[in-house]
Amino acid sequence: MNGTEPRQQIACRARNLSVAYGGDPVLRAVDLEVPAGVVMGIVGPNGAGKSTLIKAMLGLVTPLTGHSEFFGLPFAKARKRVGYMPQSTTVDWDFPTTVLDVVTMGTYASLGWLRRPGAGQRDQAVQALEQVGMAQLAARQIGELSGGQRQRVFLARALVQAPELYFMDEPFQGIDAKSQQAIVQVLHRLRQTGRTVVIVHHDLATVADYCDQVTLLNRSVVASGPVARVFTRPNIRTAYEVASSEMEFLEFAP
Amino acid sequence: MSPLEFLADHTYRTVFIGVSIIGLVSGALGSFAYLRKQSLISDVISHAALPGTLLAFLAAATVWQGDGRNMLGLIIGAVLIGTLAVGYANQISRGSKIRIDTAMAIALTVFFGAGMLLMRIIANGPFPGKGGIQDYLFGNASVMTRADVVTSALVGGAALAIMLLFFKEFVLRTFDAHYATVLGYRAATVDTLLFTVIVIATVIGVKAVGLVLMVAFLITPPAAARQWTRSMPAMVALSAVIGAVGSCLGAYLSIAFVPVPTGPLIVLTLFAIFVLSLLAAPGRSVVLRAVKHARARRLLMRELDTVAVEGRAS
Amino acid sequence: MNLTLGTMLLAVVSALACSLPGVYVVLRRNSMLVDAISHAVLPGIVVGYFFTHNLDSPLLILGAVLSGLVVVLGSELLVRTGLVAGDAPQGLVFPALFSIGVIMVSLNFANVHLDTHAVLVGDLNLAAFRQLQVAGTEVGPAYLYMMLAMLAFNIVFLVLFHNRLKLSTFDAAFASSVGLRTGLLNTAFMFLVSLTVTATFNAAGAILVIALVVVPPATAYLFSRRLDVMIGGTVAVAIAGSVGGFWLSYALDAATSAGMAVFYGVLFTAVFLATRLARSIGRRRATRKLGAQVERRMPATTD
Repeated sequence: MNGTEPRQQIACRARNLSVAYGGDPVLRAVDLEVPAGVVMGIVGPNGAGKSTLIKAMLGLVTPLTGHSEFFGLPFAKARKRVGYMPQSTTVDWDFPTTVLDVVTMGTYASLGWLRRPGAGQRDQAVQALEQVGMAQLAARQIGELSGGQRQRVFLARALVQAPELYFMDEPFQGIDAKSQQAIVQVLHRLRQTGRTVVIVHHDLATVADYCDQVTLLNRSVVASGPVARVFTRPNIRTAYEVASSEMEFLEFAP
Repeated sequence: MSPLEFLADHTYRTVFIGVSIIGLVSGALGSFAYLRKQSLISDVISHAALPGTLLAFLAAATVWQGDGRNMLGLIIGAVLIGTLAVGYANQISRGSKIRIDTAMAIALTVFFGAGMLLMRIIANGPFPGKGGIQDYLFGNASVMTRADVVTSALVGGAALAIMLLFFKEFVLRTFDAHYATVLGYRAATVDTLLFTVIVIATVIGVKAVGLVLMVAFLITPPAAARQWTRSMPAMVALSAVIGAVGSCLGAYLSIAFVPVPTGPLIVLTLFAIFVLSLLAAPGRSVVLRAVKHARARRLLMRELDTVAVEGRAS
Repeated sequence: MNLTLGTMLLAVVSALACSLPGVYVVLRRNSMLVDAISHAVLPGIVVGYFFTHNLDSPLLILGAVLSGLVVVLGSELLVRTGLVAGDAPQGLVFPALFSIGVIMVSLNFANVHLDTHAVLVGDLNLAAFRQLQVAGTEVGPAYLYMMLAMLAFNIVFLVLFHNRLKLSTFDAAFASSVGLRTGLLNTAFMFLVSLTVTATFNAAGAILVIALVVVPPATAYLFSRRLDVMIGGTVAVAIAGSVGGFWLSYALDAATSAGMAVFYGVLFTAVFLATRLARSIGRRRATRKLGAQVERRMPATTD
């Protein structure tokens, strides 16, 4: 795409990815490359197809055209290297299960048929809970937590899988300040240890703080690349379809 | 047998009028259960009607020494116990983490079990006119008497009158429960009224159709009517018409052509109307929609592939 | 084996075989689907009889199980059209299938002499009557051994699929992201439920089998905060309820399955009321504590 930056290893890429629900296109010909070791923010207005993009890449919705690859492999072959933190709308909060138990579920993918999670898996889960500052609530039933605490538990579940690439769908949606801080800390630690994070985000004010790179999306890619180069007023204006007079809307852009 | 001969026969005419009243009332009132997404509550009610009618039978036979199979008495017993079962299910799901589907399953099977125990007690006792369990399970449209039909018409008419009187409240509560409460319509009052008329609509059919299949009379017409209509009054009216016409047609077929029980044939007729509605209703037709989507997707795919090729070439 | 003891054992084993998969039925919100499946197996039995002319044939059971699955898949199809609301899809499909079954029986299709009401109501005492003979001695009801086999099969399935069922029930989106084929798993599980319901037919009938599948897990769910506790509680309630229900119907000289359903209902209602009471006491205590704290902090506001 451009020759000025040093060639980086690509963690994942989507090529010509389109999705239609019924007859209506939700994503049109999306091309996306996420270099390894960066935090990539997916930003755009409501209904821009941000969650759909992640779901299509992970094979949770069937794309109309195009394909995705992870570390040069199709998703089915790279599954163990990829972690996903869904928007927790499909979760059954009354399920009889404790916080520790939920985090341990992250290890199920590697357990196979007959093995039960043992002491080793439990230790991993406790460690992950410590990272998100939730270890003291390990014995709670999952429904007894606040929204932010639940979100931290699901982050811990993703951490337990120890993937190289994380997909997080709106992890900061409607949570308290303390949980937000805890998740940001984990995000920084992941970047320091060379992991890649793709994060769907809707708060323009914090994009520059959390992300190294950003993709502005509105059904198709408006711009994608390092924050300093891409997160500009004209690009944001295009993505959010706002007139140039509404300048206060753009105050956080450089 | 031609339709004219059919209507000239006294017994057949009674059956005909009886099932069309049942179809009309249950079609109209089933719409509310359908839109509240709690259609299967009518299955709970019809099963709870077993202990209800049996208690009424016992009361009539022992206390009043009267005819245990009096239709009005059976309806009153079934309405009381049916309402109790609905309250039990709703109370469980409101007062614990148990969901409404499980609460309904519990109410259905427990009340039916109690009915079976009562049945046993009645079978062991010296009561005149006691029937077997199959009378309740499958019903029998051909034993309907004129008095039964008149009773169904009066009770069903009362239920319809309540519905018309409180139509606005029912619609509001069904569409937006919290808003209704904020406007000052007490949730408990509206719910009690609504579920009582749904209970009535269910139990008036049990004698003719049986408790197993009654649920279809309350679900199928609304589900079919919903495909053709966009407003609540239209849906209720069309659902009532579908219920009545489907029941007449089914009854006619079962008597005129094949010697099979009336209830199941009506259910299949209603089901056929439903499937037809899914396939043919304008705007919602499954077939037309699938064709339209497929065409849109094909066009889109062609367009996007061209974009991709051009993008790579440049 | 003594007939009473054999019948009671049959009641216990049937309750266990049904309530173990019932744990997931309750958690997956499929309770009313059991009602639908149990009615829909009738046409399967009739068609199966047409081919086998033997009411005990395994092919007959297969036919019943498949027609139970028709309800599951048919209502899923209706849900997917997005044109039918709420729980109506099941309620549309199962009466239609059941009607087909009744019509086939009444037309004497396949010359099957089947009491449709026996299919709905069942009779445990009758089911327990035929004794299995090994080397000339009676070792208990033949049906007991069939239900034991069913129980064993269910235990093997549930142990094997425990993690997967738990994951996909708790969070389906996450389950499919780690590569679980949730649709296939659901169909396999529903196959198991359908098979269990069919096998339990002779003992409990279509309407009361729901009590065995749903009520023990629902009772245990009321007081469980962990899945293992819920499974343990389900086993305990299933056994206690089947023994209690057996004696209740023995005393009333009524069908065992009806007595079991009622006894389960009493157990459930008792636990439900107890948990409500415990919760309201806990809440009152918390309110009192909070009130005391507020008063201590703001003594000046009293006037």
